[in-house]
Amino acid sequence: MKGKADIHEYVQSLLTNSGDDGPLADSDSLLLSGRLQSMDAVEIVMFLEENFGIDFAQIGFDKDQIDSVDAIYALTQTAARTN
Amino acid sequence: MAATLAQFRLIPRLETWPRCVSFAQTAPGRLTLLAAFALGLRFFLPDMPSVLSLTFLLAIMTFLPEYRRFILAIAPIALVVIQTIHDPLVLGLTLGVIAFGILLYWCALRWPQSLFGQRPVTFLLTGFTLLILLACAATPRSWPYSILWSLVGVMASYLWFIGYALMDRTSQPARDLTLELASFRPLWGSTTTPFPKGAAYLRRIEAQNPEQLAIVQLKGLKLLVWGILLSLFQTFWMYFFHAHLRIPTSAQALALSVRGTPAAWHLRWASQILFFFEVTLSFAVIGARFISFCRMAGFNALRNSYRPLSSRTIAEFFNRFYYYFKELLVDFFFYPTFLRYWKGHKRLRMTCATFVAVAFGNSFYHLARDWQFFQKDGFWKGLASYQVLFFYNVIMATGLSISQLRKRGPRPKGLVRGHLLPVSGVLFFYCVLGVFGDEERLYPLAVHLKYLASLFFIHL
Repeated sequence: MKGKADIHEYVQSLLTNSGDDGPLADSDSLLLSGRLQSMDAVEIVMFLEENFGIDFAQIGFDKDQIDSVDAIYALTQTAARTN
Repeated sequence: MAATLAQFRLIPRLETWPRCVSFAQTAPGRLTLLAAFALGLRFFLPDMPSVLSLTFLLAIMTFLPEYRRFILAIAPIALVVIQTIHDPLVLGLTLGVIAFGILLYWCALRWPQSLFGQRPVTFLLTGFTLLILLACAATPRSWPYSILWSLVGVMASYLWFIGYALMDRTSQPARDLTLELASFRPLWGSTTTPFPKGAAYLRRIEAQNPEQLAIVQLKGLKLLVWGILLSLFQTFWMYFFHAHLRIPTSAQALALSVRGTPAAWHLRWASQILFFFEVTLSFAVIGARFISFCRMAGFNALRNSYRPLSSRTIAEFFNRFYYYFKELLVDFFFYPTFLRYWKGHKRLRMTCATFVAVAFGNSFYHLARDWQFFQKDGFWKGLASYQVLFFYNVIMATGLSISQLRKRGPRPKGLVRGHLLPVSGVLFFYCVLGVFGDEERLYPLAVHLKYLASLFFIHL
């Protein structure tokens, strides 16, 4: 199981690949702020499916769930409790 | 030097200046902002009464933000009543469609486990298709014919707004429905693509305190100024290239080729390149106009067009050029497909979702938007008139799929490999694709293909 630091590192790598080298706080908005795009959201979805077994077709998908490192971590914790 | 140039901004970042933000929170500051915005709005709106009434509504939302949602919900309905009062049928149908949208939303909330509650958007889009089929089957010049096609017209203009409301049903909080109503017909204007998406998005980006409101309003004013500058540039562009240099528009160049008197090769290419820039400019202007007003109303929406000409991949351009349309395709078609199907096959999954969104979704969007072709030609002939668009969408979907599947990694460095080459490739793809971007649907696909071949010295 990966932790918050891994999620942070992964999101930071997505930002870097998008040409965004700015600092990233865990509470920073990623999608609503426009720092990451829809295709990055797809990458995050696949990351969560592969590493945390989250099935968005079951729980429903809302971009709010993955809009920050904090939100993603909270989602993984909820998923861990449910599984 | 390069860093200084990169930092240069034509319009200063007023929203980052603390004194400016503080001033924008005071009564004189707010009045100054509103007056400046009204002046800018006059550039886009033809009459002074419209400017004054919209500015008055903005003033209420600025000084009494607690009434913002109420005004945004009620004012568009009042405008619809004023605009269609002379046509009771359209007025009745419009109010009926709004009520129908609210009913659908309520049903989806009330019975989330029902077949409709689980797939409300599918029901909506299928229902609209059936409505078009029914209208096509009606006898011309009969009263059912008139009513059905009027209903198709009204429904088409509300389709994606109602769709977003249905899609947002699971978002929190969904108890206050005023923003749902506001997003059915935004006060700031819109195309058939909702600017900026639905009520759930508006809730997330709404200014929560005077400082946030001041910042977002300053950004709104800046965007309006940017829109005006782009619009002036567009006017100059059209005059300089088409009136002064007499380069034909892309539609004119195609028509000349069809008539057997084609323009010179370099003029055909020039018209194609100009067409690409003109379309890009148009979407930037219209987006700036809508989103600037949205920001003045207190919603920190992202821009519709953001540096599209700096895109280094086909997918990046698609994202930057017409953001809210891309979001529509992603929200309604891409995500539902991607999240449900082909989960074990990463590449197939991505390609399938892209084709559903761009080849099918984009086609469906245009079929719904340009329903008049069905009314004019009947269902099958009307459908056949979209052949060029279908081809355009398949090529676009292929380009986007390849662009997305290419391994993402650190960007190449250097001016040539990092910028010039990838940007040129993207612009070339969209310039060539523009050959099939004619929305008049005057010629069959074969004519467009022949024209494309002639650009590469192949004469069919």
